[in-house]
Amino acid sequence: MSWYRTRVERDLARWQSAGWVNEAGASAIRADLQSRKSAFGVAPIFAILGAVLFGFAVMSFVAAHWTGMSKLARLALLLATLWGCYGAAALLFQRQLNAFAQAAVLGGIAVYGASIMLIAQMYHMEGNPPDAILMWALGALLAAVLVRSNPALAATFVLLVVWTCWERGLSQAAHWAFLIPWTATAAVAAWLRWRPGLHLAAMSLVVWLVPLGYFIFNHHGHWIVVLIGAAVAVAAAAAGPAIDRTIPSSAALFAYGLVVAFAGLYILQFIDPLMLYGSQQDTPSIQRLVLLAILTLAMLLVAMLWALGADNRAALWLAYAAFALEIFTLYLKTFGTLLNTSLFFLIAAVIVSLLAWAAYKLHQRRFPAGATA
Amino acid sequence: MTASRKILLALGIVALTQTGVLAAMVIDRVRLLTSGREITLPIVPVDPRDLFRGEYVRLGYEVGRVPARLLDGPRPRRNAPFYVVLEKTPEGGWSPIKISRAKPGEASPDRIVLKARSVFGWPETTSPTTLLAVRYGIESYFVPEGQGKRLEALAREKRMAALIAVDARGNAAIKALIIDGKLQYEEPLF
Repeated sequence: MSWYRTRVERDLARWQSAGWVNEAGASAIRADLQSRKSAFGVAPIFAILGAVLFGFAVMSFVAAHWTGMSKLARLALLLATLWGCYGAAALLFQRQLNAFAQAAVLGGIAVYGASIMLIAQMYHMEGNPPDAILMWALGALLAAVLVRSNPALAATFVLLVVWTCWERGLSQAAHWAFLIPWTATAAVAAWLRWRPGLHLAAMSLVVWLVPLGYFIFNHHGHWIVVLIGAAVAVAAAAAGPAIDRTIPSSAALFAYGLVVAFAGLYILQFIDPLMLYGSQQDTPSIQRLVLLAILTLAMLLVAMLWALGADNRAALWLAYAAFALEIFTLYLKTFGTLLNTSLFFLIAAVIVSLLAWAAYKLHQRRFPAGATA
Repeated sequence: MTASRKILLALGIVALTQTGVLAAMVIDRVRLLTSGREITLPIVPVDPRDLFRGEYVRLGYEVGRVPARLLDGPRPRRNAPFYVVLEKTPEGGWSPIKISRAKPGEASPDRIVLKARSVFGWPETTSPTTLLAVRYGIESYFVPEGQGKRLEALAREKRMAALIAVDARGNAAIKALIIDGKLQYEEPLF
């Protein structure tokens, strides 16, 4: 039984005893829940897994017999597999086996990528490896648009992230070109009205955005990252209803903005100087660290209060986790240094107690005495 | 058009486009191998630990190390393409004479332009003796199983050269390996 059904069952019992729902209504609701198929059925998952395993089987067969084949035979084999996947998808779509058809499309995309790599190997091409990943990603995006395929769209986002991380790793410079295919892919996610796709869009942008600070303003651009994240969170909080009228996304935007702002602040406090210089030469002064830590903790507390008020569970848990990570890292950093550890914990305890009190007050205001907590 | 015909058309376009991209890769390479200008570059041993990796042989070239003082114009960015101009030496080999970010137009039969990349940043200050490692995309060679060790030994004894095809855009491809002056490992086009 899904968690949703369990929850409805519990509420139904309460609503029935309150007299809001009669017996006939309750059994109708149960029957409706019963008849609804879960979005995550077992069959599609096995179909996708099957496609992946099939891909591995083909690849190991090819690897074992590769050198014994002429180039032409190898090319023919690759193309036959590619067309076989899309042909299978067409057959499965015709029989209304959409989940299996989508798995076949994903298989086709995998074969396309493997073919790029194998042709490059066959002809001793080297070039710039990330370019091959981009070529693969664009092929996946084409399938996502034309076949309206959610799995293909997910594959596109994954490939774009691999592309930008690899390119940035090699060039050690900001990779602005990422924003072009990312925008196109995010637009496709919105067009397909696929919510997990929009989350993937946000996550891939976060992966691109957080390390950006290392590559702009002479390696000291983390403030920009923090400001962008904070601006997104504040905008999502301030203009929530307006945003939600177009796409209900302000709660998620708030959470993503918070993550980016926190990641930027974390890098500023703990990672930036060490990674760049590998010495204590340019580490921030203890005053700067304390100032940044206070700013970070204050930001997280404000975010927690906002999330509590707005009933934004994801943001609340992310803020808790960030708070814990911040405190833990501060503890490791300040252990045995200027700040006395016990004093530090006293301060942290006071802050958290204040938070608990504020949360309690807020809760009381929203649910006046008598309501169950 | 019915829904099922639509999906058939969509899948057809996807398969055709992807086939087209793969075919373009092959055709581009075949064109480079058949119509590119031929040059012969002697192979020098590279770091022995790195030479034979699986079924790849890593090939080092004399022209793979270029003096930084040859740079003309702005410094190349890390991992971004730039161009190296080679000139024929009186002995019949090739040696680098100029490096630039923009593609130089060299029409002389004694000169050839190669597209290169460097995975290391270009140093801000260079002494006249600084040598930079550049890659032309001809540094790894896939060989049949069991042949790697033999090629490794030949490279160490400096008995090997590579026959390289270079197109007008500066792209380079290995056409064959030359061992003791004799053409071997000639690459079939298909």
